[in-house]
Amino acid sequence: MSALATTGEAVLDVVRDVKDILTMARRTVRVVLRGRVERKAVVEQMHEIGNRSVFFITVTMGFIGMILVFQSALQALRIVPDLTILGSTYGEILIRDIGASIGGMMLATRVGAGIAAEIGSMVVTEQVDALRMCSADPVEYLVAPRFVASVIMTFCLLIWACFVAYITGMLTAHMVFDVNYQTFANFMLVDRGDVIIGLTKCLAYGAAIPIVSAQRGLATFGGSEGVGAATTSAVVSSSLAVIVLQFIISAIGYLIFPG
Amino acid sequence: MSIRFEHVRKAFGPKEVLKDVGFEVGDGECFFIIGASGVGKSVLIKHLIGLLRPDGGSIYLDGEEVSRLSEKAFYPVRMKCAMVFQNSTLFDSMTCAQNVALPLRKHKNLAMKDALVEAQRRLETVHMGEFADAFPPELGDGMQKRVAIARALTLDPEYVLFDEPTTSLDPVSARRVDQMIRELCDKVGVTSIVVSHDLASIFGIADRIAMLYKGTVRMLGTPEDFRTTDDPVVQQFITGQADGPMEV
Repeated sequence: MSALATTGEAVLDVVRDVKDILTMARRTVRVVLRGRVERKAVVEQMHEIGNRSVFFITVTMGFIGMILVFQSALQALRIVPDLTILGSTYGEILIRDIGASIGGMMLATRVGAGIAAEIGSMVVTEQVDALRMCSADPVEYLVAPRFVASVIMTFCLLIWACFVAYITGMLTAHMVFDVNYQTFANFMLVDRGDVIIGLTKCLAYGAAIPIVSAQRGLATFGGSEGVGAATTSAVVSSSLAVIVLQFIISAIGYLIFPG
Repeated sequence: MSIRFEHVRKAFGPKEVLKDVGFEVGDGECFFIIGASGVGKSVLIKHLIGLLRPDGGSIYLDGEEVSRLSEKAFYPVRMKCAMVFQNSTLFDSMTCAQNVALPLRKHKNLAMKDALVEAQRRLETVHMGEFADAFPPELGDGMQKRVAIARALTLDPEYVLFDEPTTSLDPVSARRVDQMIRELCDKVGVTSIVVSHDLASIFGIADRIAMLYKGTVRMLGTPEDFRTTDDPVVQQFITGQADGPMEV
């Protein structure tokens, strides 16, 4: 096959994937807006997506906070011997960008893999077909509760992730570089725009991860090998979705809140 | 004739599973589809209820073509044409009664309380009434299969599709399931299409049999026709010999 044909096929695959994901998003939002989501299922998924991710997100974001401040301080000290604005700069970038985005990537791996594996297993064991035989829409039963739960819990988890990363960063700055707590805990560079952009990202990632992962799960084909492929694909695609959304929201954010 | 497949074709990527399949199934008939693993038996019956769409050909149910219907248009078809899947496909998070009640709630919009009462009655007909509040993982394969059959029959379907209903069951449970299928045809007048490898089932309860081979119907006839045929491929399959002309 020629290089042109191979490239064309890859492009067509991407276009088809994006179309399928957007269709899934449209169907899910329609179900949610019609209020056809079972509350009990949402609560169960909130526990699965939220509570079970707290330890993971706390540990990873704790270490990331330490690494970020340590490396930033080291680089800053090469240029100026003053770390007074380390805390305020770190706070701004954490709230506006990396807190939600790195946390979102972490959640894409844990939550995305879980959703795709669970739904994919249901597909290969014909449980999704059984749902359809009962006139139960798989989007209503499987995707919408995870979507609602993920939007709520990812929003909360990513705020918690920022808090943890900020605290561990502050401790690192104090213990390694002797930066005073009061000096570090300075939010003078954080404005309304940073907070709005950060929170928008939290919501967007919370919506994107379950949609992308559920679409991958429902598209599972074959047996256990198919479930494995769907899970891998869900993690890759969810992470990619987080990166793309980060770029889009940041770009729009800088246009609206240039400061 | 109540069910008719005409020149049905289906491929998954480059693999052409069904090349040209056609046959008819009469009212109240217990019709078996047999063939080697992967030949497309389950794929074929899923076309009848819209779980898969054919690449070509037509499928008729009660004279109406169903192969081009939308997902929503299939809801009434699925009310009169139920399916018992190869895996029991019960939902682990629901009790047996809730599993059986689900089609009643979705298809007939019954309230949960009423649906559960009816589900209890349905479970008793398959001798599973005392397990109404049990969750599927707590039950053995045979019991799960019976609950799945109760769920499939809960809407009083005119047609039931059984996908390898006796696979993974012990011989006694398997014969009980056979008996249940036969009684459905004889006493209730349900038309059954059964996908199976189980020779005891095939020659025990089938009215007619279609054997799929290489994407087409290799032979169609009564159990007696199959026993007496000279076709070496059919003979190899029904005698279960490892060596022969059959390509797997």
